[in-house]
Amino acid sequence: MTDNLIGLLVIIPMITAVVSVALVRHPQPQRILGLVSFGSMLLLAIRWLIQIRNGDILVSQMGGWPAPFGITLVFDSLSGLLLCTGLVVAIGCYVHAFSVLGSDSERRYFHPLVQLLLVGVNQCFLTGDLFNMFVGFEIMLMASYGLVSLGGRRSQISQAYKYLILNLVASTAFVISAGFVYGMFGTLNLADLARIVDARVSSGQGLPPGFVAISVLLLFVFGAKGAFFPLWFWLPDTYHTCPTPVAALFSGLLTKVGVYGVARTFPLVFAAGDAGNVVTPLLLGSAAVTMLLGVLGAVSQSQVRRILAIHVLSQVGYMIFGLALMTTAGLAGALYYMVQHMIVKSSLFLCCGVMESHTGSDDLDKLGGLLRRDRFLGISFFIAAMSLVGLPPLSGFFGKLVLVREGWSEHWWLSAIALLTGVLTLVSMLKIWSMGFWSRPLESSQNQEHSLGSNNLGGAYTGIGFLVGAALFVGVAAEPIYGIALTAGEQLTDSTAYLKAVSPLSDISSALESGGSG
Amino acid sequence: MTLVLAVCVATLVTVSVYLMLSRELKSIAMGVFLLGHGANLAIIAMSGSPVSLVKGLRDAPILGGADLVDPLPQALILTAIVINFAVMGFLLTLLIVTARRTSTLNVDQLAKEDSPAVSPILERSRPERFYE
Repeated sequence: MTDNLIGLLVIIPMITAVVSVALVRHPQPQRILGLVSFGSMLLLAIRWLIQIRNGDILVSQMGGWPAPFGITLVFDSLSGLLLCTGLVVAIGCYVHAFSVLGSDSERRYFHPLVQLLLVGVNQCFLTGDLFNMFVGFEIMLMASYGLVSLGGRRSQISQAYKYLILNLVASTAFVISAGFVYGMFGTLNLADLARIVDARVSSGQGLPPGFVAISVLLLFVFGAKGAFFPLWFWLPDTYHTCPTPVAALFSGLLTKVGVYGVARTFPLVFAAGDAGNVVTPLLLGSAAVTMLLGVLGAVSQSQVRRILAIHVLSQVGYMIFGLALMTTAGLAGALYYMVQHMIVKSSLFLCCGVMESHTGSDDLDKLGGLLRRDRFLGISFFIAAMSLVGLPPLSGFFGKLVLVREGWSEHWWLSAIALLTGVLTLVSMLKIWSMGFWSRPLESSQNQEHSLGSNNLGGAYTGIGFLVGAALFVGVAAEPIYGIALTAGEQLTDSTAYLKAVSPLSDISSALESGGSG
Repeated sequence: MTLVLAVCVATLVTVSVYLMLSRELKSIAMGVFLLGHGANLAIIAMSGSPVSLVKGLRDAPILGGADLVDPLPQALILTAIVINFAVMGFLLTLLIVTARRTSTLNVDQLAKEDSPAVSPILERSRPERFYE
């Protein structure tokens, strides 16, 4: 189905970013503008997601050029679900930032940068070709470089380099692999690539030499962005130093775009033929190590923000686990897990931000008795933490259930590691809970009690409440959301629907006859 | 021609890896830029005549049967150059800010130092103004 309006999801934040640059000295209009932009995008995305619940795919061919020749935007169940979740996370973190971020940081182009980040993220989710995915990545990364060094504290700047250099190298690898893919197949459109690769594999012609190398190179690219096992070292340091709303936004959006890249391109194109035999073991091994090392790292830390940051890794491991299975239910489980993780993880980071503004520190040894001082924060944190662990009525349970059950028959050891990781997650979350919230208030913190009300934290609580509410919703509405995820899994494992929706032409002469006027 | 380009790419990448392994942030930045150029040259090297879709175009009378160059890799490179340029600008700005705030561009010292150091450069250039 053609719907050219899906381009709005990229255009709205771009226009908002430009306008808020002009308004950079006036925070209030920028905030309203930003909320209007996020809100309208979320409403549009939800509307389209409801429209495609039967498994339709919305496609927009820019300028009317047919598929491999123009730019294609695709809104299918996978992109739709992630777009909605990403926007929910963005709204929560954005509102939270109003009261946590210093006015200095806010004036230094926080609002335009967040909008630009969303331009990049939305473009990555929507695009139907590899090079535009690269451009989306770059827009997102440029904005994130700015956000990482926002405020410009010393520790932040020196950590920003790690993030910057690794991502620059990964982006360069992305350009190279995109160029080589074009050299091999003469197209960068994912649907067209899938068509050519399928035809070559099924006709026994075989894939060009070097296809496996390109697959692995792309896996490196997405792995670096998504913090897969050997490439995760930048993440804990970066998330540790930047402002909490920014860390929450990053943990919700950035690594997931890397995971999305794998979910989008590998089942469709790059796991075909021999490449699948190389990529799948890599993904499986990476999933196991990422899950286990991430959670072990988290258990050993004593600073809340570090625990949460390293936990992102172990959760990414679950997603890779689902992707590596490459089955319909595995991909659907990974997708559902991504949705709940984005929301839950961001809300935990936001809780951490409020803890810091209450006590001035996120060191567990200096926290204590927070439950008595701030009941709302305690309850929100508990709900979010238990969702992360995966206790039954909450959202994390369903994601883990699907993954563990799906993996059990073929890779029982991975399922066992996933269960063990769940237990250790519980340990690390209980550590924060019992030391930070449940315990007796420390002597030194009691005299700070009066300063509690002085900070205006209205926006912070709204953000947390919104995200925790969304996390509860994902748990309660697990069935419809998993239904959408299952549709996405079917569309990923069987590309006929995707190919039919994009319908790439094989010959340019027919394109010239029917082509656009551009 | 392909051989020459391949040698160029290999040289660029080797030099850039060498630079990126150094402890000076300036060298690391230069290494990253060179790597970008290496990538662009690699794409040039692999591009040839248009790959699959030109049966209709090649017969166009205006070409007189001459060879075609595939315009798409060049468009890719143009985009990549623009992006590289922007990132280069940001990285150099960050280097200047780091130098002003910490008075060192050495990775080890950056990791070690905790208190803001004061340098003659820092005092003269009034770092606060930089952000305003």
